[in-house]
Amino acid sequence: MKYKDELIRSMEWLSEKKNTIFIGQSVLYSGNAIYNTLNTLPEEKRIELPVFEEIQMGMSTGMALEGLVPVSCFPRFDFLLRCMDSLVNHLDKMQEMTEYNLIPKVIIRTSIGAVSPLHGGVQHTQDYTQVMKDILNEVNVVLLNEPKEIFPAFERAYYRQGSTLLIEWGDYYNEK
Amino acid sequence: MIDKQFLIDFESGIKEIYEAGKISAPIHLSGGNENELIEIFQEVDKDDWVFSSWRNHYHALLHGIPADKLEDMIVRGKSMSLYSKKPKFYSSSIVAGIIPIAVGTAKAQKLNGSKNKTWCFIGDMTFETGIFYEAHKYVRNHDLPLQFVVEDNGLSTNTPTDKTWGGSRDIPEDIIYYKYEREYPHHGTGNWILF
Repeated sequence: MKYKDELIRSMEWLSEKKNTIFIGQSVLYSGNAIYNTLNTLPEEKRIELPVFEEIQMGMSTGMALEGLVPVSCFPRFDFLLRCMDSLVNHLDKMQEMTEYNLIPKVIIRTSIGAVSPLHGGVQHTQDYTQVMKDILNEVNVVLLNEPKEIFPAFERAYYRQGSTLLIEWGDYYNEK
Repeated sequence: MIDKQFLIDFESGIKEIYEAGKISAPIHLSGGNENELIEIFQEVDKDDWVFSSWRNHYHALLHGIPADKLEDMIVRGKSMSLYSKKPKFYSSSIVAGIIPIAVGTAKAQKLNGSKNKTWCFIGDMTFETGIFYEAHKYVRNHDLPLQFVVEDNGLSTNTPTDKTWGGSRDIPEDIIYYKYEREYPHHGTGNWILF
């Protein structure tokens, strides 16, 4: 299967789980490429949010504390930077701060913006994977390079304790 | 039933332990708002979520964390990040950091059809942040079961909130808001070290 098809398969598999909920921008309305991996899911499983990334990430953490598994979608890596307090100081530190009593499970999706056929410019195409690996202790960071890696990665993210940040390549939606 | 004197005595006890050098981490003692909190917590259900900040001892006690367990955590250096799985309690020492998380528990409570709610205790400077504005708007418009409580002692650490903002603003009607004068310094007891 191709890169995008594997993403769709993974999202459909996750959507069959009773406790998952898909939140973010372009989950219910088109506008970013990520929408095309979610539009086959039941509408009641998708919550479109305002553009408030910091709250989105913290909100995902809170929803996880109440037993849900949010699949929190940030259409571009560049946009994800706007939620760093909620991600780094809270989601990533909560396990240690609570002596491993509160272990929220959030599945975070983001994408390195495509540079072809249109180049989004420096604010829409950055790859901060290594930065995230360096700064996050408890959140697992996974870069999805090949189609065959995608489904197992989401499967692991769902079954493992704790949270996972999964990073896609926007260019591979069409290339691979 | 926890009364005013119990709260005051608890913090006095922590003060003594701290001044004896037995707590090797910062503490932020509560004091001066016992009456307000006792009244507010009459409305808090034991299964509700409570979110607090660095000044959290009273909130933790009033939500049902046993005093001996709380004291143990504080002595172990956990004062700034008290937590409990049951009763549901989480605190953070980053300004406004708890607000988005509280939005999330409230959202989940509503999605899950829970009768419980979320309580989020913040200070006056946190109340003025942009993230509070966004969260409050979302919570109000989506009718989420989240009650904000603003505890206004006029200071953020020692920075006067209104002076730095150049004034105050109207208080939304759907939040609980009270003013008080803090009993202790921002952190510590005034008699030992600063961090």
